[in-house]
Amino acid sequence: MSKCKFEDLIDGYLLNKLSEGDREAFEEHYFNCSSCFEQLQERDVIIRTIKNNPALLEEKEEVRSSALAGLRKELASFLTVRQLAFAGVTALLVMVIIFTVIPRHQVPAPNFFLTDEETVRGSSITLISPVIDMGQVPSSFEWKKLGDNIEYQISISNGELLWKATTRENRITLPDEVKAKMVPGQKYSWQVKAFGPDGSLIAVSSRVQFKISAD
Amino acid sequence: MRHKIDEDIQELIVRYRPIIAFRVRKALGAQNTDCEDLVSEILSQVLEKIQTGEFRGESSLGTFVYTITSRRIVDYIREKTKVMKYAPEPAPFPDPQETLEVAEMSDRVKKALSRLKPKYREVLYLYYYQELSRDEVAERLGVSTRKVSELVNYALKLIRKELKS
Repeated sequence: MSKCKFEDLIDGYLLNKLSEGDREAFEEHYFNCSSCFEQLQERDVIIRTIKNNPALLEEKEEVRSSALAGLRKELASFLTVRQLAFAGVTALLVMVIIFTVIPRHQVPAPNFFLTDEETVRGSSITLISPVIDMGQVPSSFEWKKLGDNIEYQISISNGELLWKATTRENRITLPDEVKAKMVPGQKYSWQVKAFGPDGSLIAVSSRVQFKISAD
Repeated sequence: MRHKIDEDIQELIVRYRPIIAFRVRKALGAQNTDCEDLVSEILSQVLEKIQTGEFRGESSLGTFVYTITSRRIVDYIREKTKVMKYAPEPAPFPDPQETLEVAEMSDRVKKALSRLKPKYREVLYLYYYQELSRDEVAERLGVSTRKVSELVNYALKLIRKELKS
């Protein structure tokens, strides 16, 4: 059966969706084209049957919540129900491991190497600034506070010790004479140690490097 | 000679009566009791105009019949609106029961619909019942417009198969 270009207008005509011009052109056409008229009659009965018996087509859940259905369909197109269930169970197991098993394996307090011979076990100090490359010589150094009544010892070095000082604050200002010794283009490192009221070492930061840029 | 003309007239009536009836029912609504009279009236007008030589073959016979039909429908609606305030508003989709043949066809369509796979039923529901465009159906189902056309065409093919069986 050869396809007539008017065939595409059949649905639009029956559903009253055509413009007036298209409607009249199609009406004149089906008075002349018996193939289109035959299809028109047939489609008319099909559409009216659907319009009067929607229950035959309604897929209660699927049609109503079709946004969800669409998603489910997309998923279903590459995952079967069994695979989907398996993925769910696997995800649950992974969560259980992450949230219950791992926290029991508390990582032991880290060891800090003070010198080659001396190590200490304790908590760490987080350094705040400077930790990246600086545009100019930093004027102060800052780290996270550990608690009250703690004395911090800061040391700055560039291979050999440049400056060492103690403070009860969690920041310290660099004295001008030390600043004068620091030159652009050079790499420096700093570290903070914390001492308790009895003078015992309780925490050590890692040694952080920073560079003063050359310009 | 007389016999030949009678045969032509018979053929013309057989061919055009259903088309005229379809056009009239679409315009007036299948329940309108004037439909049959109007169709007969149009047919006799057509025959008369042919016999008096008013149809000279400038257009096709189909277009000639179409023009007479359309004109008569417009006249009918105009007459009605003179009496009533509004033109008769046809029920848009009357239950297909107007003839025994149509009712039988509709039963077959129902049978075919209930046998369709859910994916075809869903697409027919959205496209014909809810009257969404093919693009809108595509969006709803998360498939391409082309796929929607394929699904609709295939579903119609399955229904047609049931009608022909």
